Amino acid sequence: MIDRRMGIFLAGLFVLAVVVPVGNLALAGQPVPTYLVALIGKYLCYALLAVALDLVWGYCGILSLGHGAFFALGGYAMGMYLMREIGDRGVYANPSVPDFMVFIGWKELPWYWWGFDHFALAAAMVVIAPGLLAFVFGWFAFRSRVTGVYLSIITQAMTYALMLAFFRNDMGFGGNNGLTDFKDILGFDLAQPATKVGLMVLSALALAGGLVLARWVTGSRLGKVLVCVRDAESRTRFLGYRVEHYKLFIFTLSAMMAGVAGALYVPQVGIINPSEFSPANSIEIVIWVALGGRGTLVGAALGAIVVAAAKTVLTGALPEAWLYALGALFILVTLVLPTGVVGALEDTLSRLRGTPPRKEAKA
Amino acid sequence: MTSLLRALALLLALGCAGAAAAQDFAGLIAALPGGSYADRAKVVKDLGLTGDPRALVVLRALEADDLKVLADGTPVIVNDKTGAAVAAVDGSDRGTPAADSLDRVKVNNAVRRALRSAIGMLTLRDPDPARRLAAARDALKAADPDQIEALDAALAAETDAGVAATLAEARAAAVLKSPDAAGPDQLAAIATLAARGDDAARAALTPVAASAKPDLAKAAQAALARIDEAQRFWGLAQNLWYGLSLGSVLMLAAVGLAITFGVMGVINMAHGELVMLGAYTTFVVQQVIRAEAPGLFGWSLVIAAPLAFVVAGAVGVVIERGIVRHLYGRPLETLLATWGVSLMLQQAVRSAFGPDNRDVGNPGWMSGAFHLGQMQITWNRLWILVFAFAVFAVLLMVLKRTPIGLQMRAVTQNRAMAANMGIRTGRVDALTFGLGSGIAGLAGVALSQIDNVSPNLGQNYIVDSFMVVVFGGAGNIWGTMAGAFTLGIANKFLEPFAGAVLGKILILVGIILFIQKRPRGLFAVKGRAVEA
Amino acid sequence: MTQPIGGLPPVAQPQLYLDGVSRSFDGFKAINNLSLVIEHGELRAVIGPNGAGKTTMMDIITGKTRPDTGQVLWEQTVDLTRLDEAATARLGIGRKFQKPTVFESHTVQDNLTLALKADRSPWATLFRRGSAPERSRIDELLALTRLGDHRFRLAGALSHGQKQWLEIGMLLAQEPRLLLVDEPAAGMTDAETMLTADLLKSIAGERSVIVVEHDMEFVRALGCKVTVLHQGAVLAEGRLDAVSAMPDVIEVYLGR
Repeated sequence: MIDRRMGIFLAGLFVLAVVVPVGNLALAGQPVPTYLVALIGKYLCYALLAVALDLVWGYCGILSLGHGAFFALGGYAMGMYLMREIGDRGVYANPSVPDFMVFIGWKELPWYWWGFDHFALAAAMVVIAPGLLAFVFGWFAFRSRVTGVYLSIITQAMTYALMLAFFRNDMGFGGNNGLTDFKDILGFDLAQPATKVGLMVLSALALAGGLVLARWVTGSRLGKVLVCVRDAESRTRFLGYRVEHYKLFIFTLSAMMAGVAGALYVPQVGIINPSEFSPANSIEIVIWVALGGRGTLVGAALGAIVVAAAKTVLTGALPEAWLYALGALFILVTLVLPTGVVGALEDTLSRLRGTPPRKEAKA
Repeated sequence: MTSLLRALALLLALGCAGAAAAQDFAGLIAALPGGSYADRAKVVKDLGLTGDPRALVVLRALEADDLKVLADGTPVIVNDKTGAAVAAVDGSDRGTPAADSLDRVKVNNAVRRALRSAIGMLTLRDPDPARRLAAARDALKAADPDQIEALDAALAAETDAGVAATLAEARAAAVLKSPDAAGPDQLAAIATLAARGDDAARAALTPVAASAKPDLAKAAQAALARIDEAQRFWGLAQNLWYGLSLGSVLMLAAVGLAITFGVMGVINMAHGELVMLGAYTTFVVQQVIRAEAPGLFGWSLVIAAPLAFVVAGAVGVVIERGIVRHLYGRPLETLLATWGVSLMLQQAVRSAFGPDNRDVGNPGWMSGAFHLGQMQITWNRLWILVFAFAVFAVLLMVLKRTPIGLQMRAVTQNRAMAANMGIRTGRVDALTFGLGSGIAGLAGVALSQIDNVSPNLGQNYIVDSFMVVVFGGAGNIWGTMAGAFTLGIANKFLEPFAGAVLGKILILVGIILFIQKRPRGLFAVKGRAVEA
Repeated sequence: MTQPIGGLPPVAQPQLYLDGVSRSFDGFKAINNLSLVIEHGELRAVIGPNGAGKTTMMDIITGKTRPDTGQVLWEQTVDLTRLDEAATARLGIGRKFQKPTVFESHTVQDNLTLALKADRSPWATLFRRGSAPERSRIDELLALTRLGDHRFRLAGALSHGQKQWLEIGMLLAQEPRLLLVDEPAAGMTDAETMLTADLLKSIAGERSVIVVEHDMEFVRALGCKVTVLHQGAVLAEGRLDAVSAMPDVIEVYLGR
């Protein structure tokens, strides 16, 4: 089931998950600084998010411009747990409500915060909240056969609406500032390098798990139906497949995966705020997948890591150049590399071997 | 202060008032410093009722805390800069007394109220109608029966119809308060106030509604009900206006998008940035005018509009020829590529003009507001509405009456057939894209008048514009117009109940539900060709 | 003029029953008071000039398009106007399109596998693996459509004619009870056309088949009852010889 390119990637991931902890914690002179550990962890979360998007876009042709919303919802679910974990160590030392609620004069936890002091509930909500949103949204959108750019635009509107909502203080999610100042997770101090290493390794595991799951789903007969939907939706219906159910399944699964990515992301960057919902963020995910090659899973993950790393480097060194570079990337990939780097590479390789190129995703 | 003194001297020189009045005036002035606050308020009020212009000077001095008392008890007006004093009663020079030899004439809140009212009464005779109107409004608010006579006098002398109406209403309010006014008089007063129908009228009528005289109370209640209705109506009208205004902005921002989407099936994510370019063009034009020819500032928008059209249109043509052309039939890729363009344009503007808001001024004819009934209409919003309709009309003309419009419609309906008929679809595409982009530039000129001009300007409108196009139905600019105004008005009517943000969210949710029913928008192109 | 149904006695248990069906698009009546009865196991050819409403008729039967008025009954009990494409397909209505539509990024084998009659729910497809009966069925279909050599090629790489055959194979894999076949002979050689006609004839009897076709030779080869559509309604019905002798039919369709 696991093909060669995924095998290589998973092996690389394994090496990373061994080398980084050793380099940070065990070796003298700390060849891997702690900030780099957190950074790698962040990239791995992005990679998982990209795999989630690739599932719906690469295999089912649904270009979601709102996947950032699912990522952010997962992040908020985790953030809520981390906020409750602070307890009375906040600035206002109020054990029953988080600081930002004290600040806006709330005396009690709103009902939707109940239970978030239990990690199990928070962990469940990490997948339930984005999954539920995706299910409800998808149920409406797919049932009425909204497709193509129309669907893309309303997914964008969805994340935009959520951004506006989360900016409101009386939503009870910290408004503008979001959730931050976390102290620890399951009793582990978030400031400790060991915790950071642990989270990074967890992210690597989650990415590997996500890849294998995605590979299993896309390799199954259901995965083949998804590709049918992508290439000839109407024909698929005439074969008796209820296309909207398939879309709903993969959209919801993908949203849950994005939620997990968001949940791992938040403790590593230490903050979640409404800007994660911004439409621009969601479109950036798309370019990761497009660059790596949609419908390749591994390509999507690689694309995320490469673009995110380039962003870190460029915004540090030449802040003005970043948006030019990102913009140019969007244009070049769509014009020159429609199958992405991985797709183009494989086409070239198979041409060299004399076999006809695999026909890849069409938009 | 000096000008006041001069005016006082002039008035005295004219020897305006009769001896009795003068006596009366002098007596009141002399009585001003003495007694309790209550006495002082009474004197102030009487001064107001004299209608004597000299009283205005004294009262204003009192209000400004410039009325002092010399050691001998003479009230004087002291120039707060030079310290020179003149007698309050006749403006005669009293030298420059030492500050510590002067006593203040103190005022409390009751006196201050009386002062305002009295000054208002005196201002009723001011030569400037605007001031008289303001004074009449104050009188209406005060609703003082003692002012009836003065109001009558002012009413008799009033030449301006608007001021006269307000004066009559002020008189009516005073009559209603008067314990010894005749019944019919008061009924007439109620009618007058009911016709006015605003908060001031309501304030004057509310106590009457609880009056012991049943006929009066009944009339007042009826009048209040009428006022409620009128206010609901005007509230609705005002909301409608806000909605229309928002709708016009949305239409300007979306109609260009509708053209590129409708004709070419291209989602241009850089559309918002083209709007932004239009706004920055306006900014540059104004900078040049400010530096080179300040006299032309009133014309800045008229100059900027065609330039913005050309700038945005040219950028649009470049985008089409350079990128979009290669991606026809791949709408999702076009979306991504144009998003890339939008990022680059944003950064380009940020590098060139800085990340902060740029100040684009309103020319004189764009600033200010006027009242229509009880609603307030700002000139800039009104002009933008007019502009939006003008752009729409011109666009309609271009599409329906010109050869290029015909070609565009032909390409919209059947690209392959149009190409077979000898239409150069490539050229049509470039021109269509240019036209849509140019209109975005025009939208930018309009938006520069009501919104912050910053590199993020476009981002703020892009989602809304898309919603308009999706709601209205692509490929039909009438649909865009209907969509824009429906959304604009719906938004403004939701805002009072739900708040601005929640209202917007509700609209977005509403659209998502709406396209359940009509996946292709309000004005969908129907037929088998589309369904296939 | 509408012919009575060939003077035959009323069919006791029609497979498909359309009565008074109309549908208009923007004022254009694509289907106008159309009535049609298909017996169990019947082979029927539907002919008519362009715009006669053939495709819309198939859209209505398969639930793609809702009629404005009229009745569409499946086996006298199921109201097809309430069902969508997937539901009609699950009932046993299979459709082949004029332009061959296969899943180009799947192999020939996968195309057939996905068409095989089976539970279509996402959950079932997620866990289903290939089975021995399934494989033998696919071998059968590959032999029938003579695509055995192309089993592992991508469908997108097939020729036009091969795609036609693949789609016919997919149609058969569904094991439908009614086949709607739109211009199957387009893009085929004469020999292939005759093979197709034979295939359809052999299918009929066990299943009902409606063939929409322009090619008169092909229709003649089918040797079945013919329905002539014109302006969205049935103009004539009967054997090809009888129908083609009618002056009305000659005027609107056959006569030039």
